[in-house]
Amino acid sequence: MSSTNVEIFPKKKSQPVPRFSLDTWAVFLALGLSLLIWAGVIKHVPW
Amino acid sequence: MASSVAVAQPVSEGGFFRRFIDLVPGVLLLVAVGYAGKIIEKSIATYGKAHHLTLPNIEYVLWAIVIGLVIANTVGIPRIFQAGIATYEFWLKAGIVLLGSRFLLGDVAKLGGISLVLVVIEIALSLVFMTWLGRAFGLSPKLTTLLAVGSSICGVSAIIATKGAIDADDEDASYAIAAILSLGAISLFVFPLIGHWLHLNDLSYGLWAGLGIDNTAEVTAAGNLYSDAAGKVAVLAKTARNAMIGFVVLGYAIHWARKEGTKQVGNKAEFLWNKFPKFVLGFLVISAIATAQVFSKDQLGSLANLSRWAFLLTFAGVGLRTNIRELGKQGFRPFVVGAVGEVVIAFLTLGLVFGADKFLR
Repeated sequence: MSSTNVEIFPKKKSQPVPRFSLDTWAVFLALGLSLLIWAGVIKHVPW
Repeated sequence: MASSVAVAQPVSEGGFFRRFIDLVPGVLLLVAVGYAGKIIEKSIATYGKAHHLTLPNIEYVLWAIVIGLVIANTVGIPRIFQAGIATYEFWLKAGIVLLGSRFLLGDVAKLGGISLVLVVIEIALSLVFMTWLGRAFGLSPKLTTLLAVGSSICGVSAIIATKGAIDADDEDASYAIAAILSLGAISLFVFPLIGHWLHLNDLSYGLWAGLGIDNTAEVTAAGNLYSDAAGKVAVLAKTARNAMIGFVVLGYAIHWARKEGTKQVGNKAEFLWNKFPKFVLGFLVISAIATAQVFSKDQLGSLANLSRWAFLLTFAGVGLRTNIRELGKQGFRPFVVGAVGEVVIAFLTLGLVFGADKFLR
């Protein structure tokens, strides 16, 4: 196989592992928005 | 990164604020593309109504994907937008959590329970078949493992999780991801066509899409392309599939550690928790809160609309991150193995859905 043409894992400096994963942040955001809707801070979300 | 696969974007140097600012242009592009899709759908419907014409109702989902595809494959995506476009996975997961508000916990238990049984059968058969197919085509064992996990569980996330657990090469992971993504892009358009051709109802189609398509973003899009109800079921089935990721990755990690005589997985419970997709828990939490009737009807409507907005950004991202030229350059054999596997898994899951039909009524 030739060297990959899809640069998915670029070499980079080692970085600190984040405390929360992307998944967890998405859950926080969704729960936070739900709380704002429940508390009446966000009255209505149109579509 | 001139690539179709925006998986692990180089993290910008600088602090949190700088990284946040880097995301803004791409997120605005997601909003613009997604909203353009919504406007086009509405404009066509308004035009048809005003002129008493019966025009095909092409959903905003398809418009958002197509506009994204056209931009990515004609003018290309300037670097300034790439970090923000890669956030489409984040919006997808937030959207899935919010979608939990549209399910009563009892429905989740019933449909999720059926999905889980089908998922276990699907994963077992797919892993065995893909492993055999990879060997038959002479792929390296680790590339075969990555393709098997990618096609049986949940595409890119599963491949990345497994890559770390079995210490696979970057190149193998790149080939596996490229194969899974390109096949996901094809499935996105083929599944709804077959579903309509077979006259599948929303429930059966949603279940099939959730079991048969690899990436969660493509599952969500393919489900919503069929109907809103099918989209809900597809996401639920895919969520059940995602929940299995930790167990399969743990199994492969133990297998490869034994085979290569490397360090075994220490705390298995911690390993499972680290690999478990947390948005599945978020989905269940919101569903439980909605079931407890904490939200009013209007509030539930707002939560459902928030979920739709999050998915709108996801659909735009699916189109924008797909570079057809790059997908065409991937390894031939991994693509063939992936393609044959996808077709077989699609038939297999369709058979499972037909078999489970009487339990779904």
